[in-house]
Amino acid sequence: MSEAPSPASVPARAPATRGAAGRAPGPLAWLVRNPRRVMPAVVVQALVTALVLAVVTPLTGFEATVEANIAPLSHYTGVTPSERNDFDPALSALLDANPAMQRRVRAKALWMQTPMIVGESYAMLLALEGADQADFLARIGNRLVAGTLPAPGSDGAVVPADVARARGLALGSRFGRLVDPEDVTPGRFTVVGLVEGPARVGLVDLAYATVPDFVLARIESFQVVYARPGRKAQSDAYLHAATNAEGKKAFKVWDEAYWRARTKKMLENLPTLVNAVVGAVTAIVGLVVVLLHLIAFQARSDEFALLLALGRTRRSLAARLAAESGLAAAVALALGLALGYGFLAVWEAQVLRPRAILLRFFDPYALALSAALPLASAAAGALVLAARLRRMDPVTILQRRNA
Amino acid sequence: MSEAPVLSARALSLVYGDGARRTTAVEALDLDVARGEFVGLVGPSGSGKSSLLFLLAGLRRPTTGRVLLLGRPLDAAPDRNAALRRRHVGFVFQEPFLVPWLSLRENALVHATGPGAAARVEDLARRVGVAHLLDERPHRVSGGERQRAGLLRALANDPDLVLADEPTAFLDHPTGHAVMDVLRACVGRAALVVVTHDPEMLAGAHRVLHLRDGRLEATTAAGSPPATAAGA
Repeated sequence: MSEAPSPASVPARAPATRGAAGRAPGPLAWLVRNPRRVMPAVVVQALVTALVLAVVTPLTGFEATVEANIAPLSHYTGVTPSERNDFDPALSALLDANPAMQRRVRAKALWMQTPMIVGESYAMLLALEGADQADFLARIGNRLVAGTLPAPGSDGAVVPADVARARGLALGSRFGRLVDPEDVTPGRFTVVGLVEGPARVGLVDLAYATVPDFVLARIESFQVVYARPGRKAQSDAYLHAATNAEGKKAFKVWDEAYWRARTKKMLENLPTLVNAVVGAVTAIVGLVVVLLHLIAFQARSDEFALLLALGRTRRSLAARLAAESGLAAAVALALGLALGYGFLAVWEAQVLRPRAILLRFFDPYALALSAALPLASAAAGALVLAARLRRMDPVTILQRRNA
Repeated sequence: MSEAPVLSARALSLVYGDGARRTTAVEALDLDVARGEFVGLVGPSGSGKSSLLFLLAGLRRPTTGRVLLLGRPLDAAPDRNAALRRRHVGFVFQEPFLVPWLSLRENALVHATGPGAAARVEDLARRVGVAHLLDERPHRVSGGERQRAGLLRALANDPDLVLADEPTAFLDHPTGHAVMDVLRACVGRAALVVVTHDPEMLAGAHRVLHLRDGRLEATTAAGSPPATAAGA
């Protein structure tokens, strides 16, 4: 039996020091070098991210369309008398007593429907006297891009260009319930002008809308109230608070706040519905993604058993796996957003814009819902893989391979 | 005063299962391995050689007894020995277990702990004849070259103890001898424990331990027939 050598008989070695040198390639290298293992999870997440973005963005875009329809109300306030059809002298005096009012003009309010992907949207048609029409357009920032303003007493209508396009109307086209019984606009109008600008509102002539024999004459009176510069809130507050001789509210005030609240009420169930659908999709697809992560993990069980045997801690390997699934999720998110926005850009140009449907392209709510799947998958994947790693017995795996 | 052993095991045993399925893999084993010593472990299949190796590495929780590495007792919980194992123990497996998506160099450095590891791997690679293959992936090299890459990984941290579990089992004889020559030449001051079926691979061992049914049956010098008395 030979003797074990004494320590003095073998060469001394340099003391080992700890440091960062010689680290194994990071999560990015894993992604780049193993496309066949990584791509299934990335592709599934990217496609669902794109799908959620493409579906949710137009839904929230409905709100953007309504916002555009009520945008003119930041420049004026509409007022109708409460519980009556017309402004009597007392109510007119009450309007004139508004200290924040600059000017008021007589009007009638009508609506033009435009088709949406689901349901319809409504743009306002204001009936104003000829002298007030150009001033109104200037105040709300719209401009006449084709045709003329309605001649006094004529059935002419100036229509927002995008609404006209969506309705298939051109200069000379006719619309209204007397032309199409399904039309919500009472009477009959001929398009004589097209306007463009930030506010989706059209104009018709007040004299025509008040012809006694015409149904329009029975539409309740409407006043357009312009506030003094910087005093619109005060003016609106006065109109809301004003009471008639019986102590009741004197006016129904059609201001921005009213329409915003009404829109909110109309759409209040939409987020719940969308959240539920996206939540269910996220849960189901997230499960699939976690399963794909597990399959990839299983294929690498030798690698992790080896690293554990060599002295890497489970915590460091779990962190490594979390970084890998996080990176895969980030790639999927970027890919999904690129795909989703690419699709939306084409869809907006080809389908939505021709229908006058507005799209809030970078909608934070839609973005957040789109990001839910990659984020949830990354978190769930990291947790499940960490749990799997915790139960892994490296010796069993190494011995099985050696057997 | 002589230096403390790199590795000590006292009353070490490992029992699997319960009742009728109870199996004793290692039984009441005492062992000391000194720095620079080359110890062979031989025995028939199922004699507990690999189980003993995993116990000595702190990868298995012993049923009784304890293991000391560099005089420090290993924790019964394998995970708590990770840092000690990473820094001081090198493993050579029967199957080299190279990570397929890493190059041979990256595999060798996969658990590197110090700045000297990269240079050490370069040097070792030249000595074992795989320097030109360091940037290749494992599937592009031969079995012998993969096993040599496994040696680089085992020695990358300049370990105090190298444990080798049938390192030549999948290799033909000449390649197996070459790998063993490299292992003996490169191990330096580390203690080396090699499990093998093939006594020829233990040429140069200071001691050969014969295991049967988990018990240390005999201790011999390499090439000698086993003695009847147990001893470590």
